[in-house]
Amino acid sequence: MRPGPVVRAVRGGLSRRRVQTVVIGLVVLIFTAACTLALGLLVDSSAPFDHAFAAQRGAHLATAVDLAKATPAQIAATAHLPGVTAMSGPYAEVVISGQVSLPGIPGPVRLPLVTLAGRARPGGPVDDITLDSGRWVRNPGEVVISRDLDGPTLKLGQQVTVTGVPGAPRLTVVGIAKSITDSAGGWVMPAEIAALAAHGTPPLAQVLYRFATAGTTTQVSADLAEVGAALPAGAVTGGQSYLPIRLQASESLAPIVPFVVAFGIIGLVMSVLIVSNVVSGAVVAGYRRIGILKSIGFTPAQVVAAYVGQVVFSAVIGCLAGVALGNLLSAPLLSKTANVYGVGVLTVPTWVSVLVPAAVCVLVGIAALLPALRAGRLSAIQAIATGRAPRSGRGYAAHRLLGRLRLPRPVTIGLATPFARPARTAVTLVAIVCGAGTVTFAVGLSTSLSMVAAAVSHSASEPVQIALSGGFEHKARPAAPAGPGAGQQPSPAAQQRAPQAALRAEPGTLRYVAEAVQQANVPGLAHQIPVHAFRGNATWTGYDLISGRWYRGPGEVEVPTYFLTVTGKAVGDTVTITVGGAQVPVRIVGEVFDTENRGLAMLTGWPTLARAVPGLAPQWYDVALRPGTNAQAYANAIGGKLGPGFDVSLNANDPFFLTLVGMIGILTLMLALVAGLGVLNTVVLSTRDRVHDIGVFKALGMTPRQIIVMVVCWVAGTGLAAGLLAVPAGIALHRYVLPVMAQSAGTNVPASFLHVYRLDELALLGLSGLVIAVLGALLPAGWAAKISTASALRAE
Amino acid sequence: MQLSDVSKRYDNDGPAAVDRVSLDLATGESVAVMGPSGSGKSTLLNLVAGLDRPSAGTVTVAGERIDTLSETGLARFRGRRIGMIFQFFNLLDDLTVADNVLLPAQLAGMPRARARARVGQLLEALRIERHRDAYPARLSGGERQRVAIARALVNQPDLLLADEPTGALDTATGEGICELLLDLVRSGQSMLLVTHNPDLAARCASRTIQLVDGSLVSDVRGAGVPR
Repeated sequence: MRPGPVVRAVRGGLSRRRVQTVVIGLVVLIFTAACTLALGLLVDSSAPFDHAFAAQRGAHLATAVDLAKATPAQIAATAHLPGVTAMSGPYAEVVISGQVSLPGIPGPVRLPLVTLAGRARPGGPVDDITLDSGRWVRNPGEVVISRDLDGPTLKLGQQVTVTGVPGAPRLTVVGIAKSITDSAGGWVMPAEIAALAAHGTPPLAQVLYRFATAGTTTQVSADLAEVGAALPAGAVTGGQSYLPIRLQASESLAPIVPFVVAFGIIGLVMSVLIVSNVVSGAVVAGYRRIGILKSIGFTPAQVVAAYVGQVVFSAVIGCLAGVALGNLLSAPLLSKTANVYGVGVLTVPTWVSVLVPAAVCVLVGIAALLPALRAGRLSAIQAIATGRAPRSGRGYAAHRLLGRLRLPRPVTIGLATPFARPARTAVTLVAIVCGAGTVTFAVGLSTSLSMVAAAVSHSASEPVQIALSGGFEHKARPAAPAGPGAGQQPSPAAQQRAPQAALRAEPGTLRYVAEAVQQANVPGLAHQIPVHAFRGNATWTGYDLISGRWYRGPGEVEVPTYFLTVTGKAVGDTVTITVGGAQVPVRIVGEVFDTENRGLAMLTGWPTLARAVPGLAPQWYDVALRPGTNAQAYANAIGGKLGPGFDVSLNANDPFFLTLVGMIGILTLMLALVAGLGVLNTVVLSTRDRVHDIGVFKALGMTPRQIIVMVVCWVAGTGLAAGLLAVPAGIALHRYVLPVMAQSAGTNVPASFLHVYRLDELALLGLSGLVIAVLGALLPAGWAAKISTASALRAE
Repeated sequence: MQLSDVSKRYDNDGPAAVDRVSLDLATGESVAVMGPSGSGKSTLLNLVAGLDRPSAGTVTVAGERIDTLSETGLARFRGRRIGMIFQFFNLLDDLTVADNVLLPAQLAGMPRARARARVGQLLEALRIERHRDAYPARLSGGERQRVAIARALVNQPDLLLADEPTGALDTATGEGICELLLDLVRSGQSMLLVTHNPDLAARCASRTIQLVDGSLVSDVRGAGVPR
């Protein structure tokens, strides 16, 4: 086969069909970008902690070493212990108590105790700290704080006064950073540690290790023992394994990752379908030219090469631009994702950036090859005839029927036109169904995710929690700063009286309930589980019922789905739990959506737990606010009233959900855009088919506006039909995917999380197909309106 | 209709397709435009129909300067004032005969009942009533041209433009179309007829102009159409 004529044919085709070339390039670009983004997110979401831990050389073990007992040389020697692959430190550390002044809040606001480490540089062989914003410390008086402490109270530029040390030194926050293993709450210059330590504090330092084997708790314990044995007795005062942090990260991700995976896979499937349609449509549109090429002597192989080459040329450019765009879009999204996963830095893996464009090129090649092979086998005359006009006889009935409607003639002609090309109409329909279906699915998924976020954090039901000091676990991640006065201890009796008085006095209080938690043994479970007891009505606290009912009397409990799964119990069954040595038979009356402790927890009324734990006292108060009450202002106000000994915190949604919704939004927009480009492609092809008819219409007096209306109507009916099909399809997908994915995370979903579509929303979603069709058709409709009538009439 | 010094160039450096042509056509007059292929006949017709814009000069039809009209204005002008008959009929294949004829009336906003009545009249007058629900592909060339003529007349145009109306027909069928056009001219329909056929020009036009290389080289009156 001589390549010369093929190359010339490819070049000629590209220059002659610029719009087609641009459309294919754009569709492939967006598809590649979406795939890169989706796959990158999927890969990183599958094990974000492990990815980040490896990238940042996280510490398998962070030891606290008493510098009075071990010399620097002895510590350095531990780097050569068998099994130790890397060591970093010693970094002198100190625990400080600090306070800040905030505008609008009288008096200083106390901060929780923070461990500061002295590190001159963020990097190192172990625990490479990621700087999010600002810069690393350069001078005394500067501090870089952990991302976990960043918030309204403590942010870049804030001055922290260290209390309890001579001179009350002040530290200015110059950077926000993250250690993958939370090795410290902040970092200062090494020389500054001594000035921040209270008199008589033993000189401690953290030494960070990576080991050859550290996959299990036993292995990490053995590693710690090995380090301890290598140093003088009592030198190692403690050791923190990375495994609990890894477990915590995995637990918080468990209900989330499946949603990401589901959306990514669906997005990929939809995009593959649409790209295939657009590309094969482009080749079919070139049939007439293929016929001409054959009539002047092109062999079937040359025809195939010319057409596949023409499509692949645009596709390769689209792929390269798409992978760059995908990486560009991923950067902020993955950075946010890393932020909320609580891990350092996530990037699109290199293999994704290579594999995706390669796979897209292959896909496009196959999509182009099949119709090109078919065209290559056609005779010249057949190809010309197939590619010219719609087959006569099709769509006549539609024209006749629609012509009877009392609608403007350009509208009825436009609505009837798709029936002349049923295959192309079907392709367009599928493209729009995919786009509009994605929109419907995304709307539902976003709403459901918001409900999941609210259920996990209890932010909507009980936005404020007041904790009585004494140590307990929060239900949700603490996302807001502690209020004024946190950290000091009032008497136990005062602690019991004060919150209720303060809550009753605060006008923003809607309702509140006291809560306590005790660890309990459950037959069949290896570890203890938390049992939450509420003193009073707690049906409003945001535990959504999946099945059964809320407890009504003593001995009745609700449990999450995972509890039922692992214990083999069902709603209605009785289990005997052991709390504080006492055995308490309880009957499961409801299944709730709760991801705490991976879904191994129990909710009950106060009397159930009080029977086993004499003197059971509230550990915190869950507070619902009146509509319109500012939660932060409320927390500040009630914190001010309560004073020391109480931690007033806000239950805020995990920002990851916001990132997730943002990601869904971007992917949906991209898929809708691809669907719109599919429509544009169809209309361009139809305009080319019908250019002569357009000339006739114009000659007969059809105005440019009427031409635009007619061309838009070519796809408007299809768009409307697609939208109406897409809504039930999107809802069905939502109803199928959500429970399946939730189950893979070990939970069922409450019905309310599934029935999320409002009627007005559905009506709007039903129009989404029409919107995609109209937006996709407007541009070529404008071109059609501008076609010169005389030239159009001359067109074959 | 009045053309004053009208020129049309498709390429700034190339020759003019129509070169400084001035021409008047009175109401009820029928003018044949003749000339060899590439002489600019169809371009002249397109300029009068507002399908193309002159590079220089003015085109006035029914007292309206059409060379300055917008695209929308031109479309409305064509719908209201102009009827066009093409060599290859330019019927819309997916519309029935009746719908093809009805279309310009619908685009011009003619009331539905009036438009349907007018279509019925024309189909009957042109003896194609029995084909009203047929599709153009099923008709003979002569029948298609009759449909095209009916469509051109549906809005009762001031000026009928015919571009080689018998060019794609056999002699006998062309004769029938010629008779039809003759009847129209006799009834006072103004017409600009582009043709290669001297006999058609002689029978249907009261005046014949000759174009050569875009220039008007002769304007002969008196071929006469018996009224």
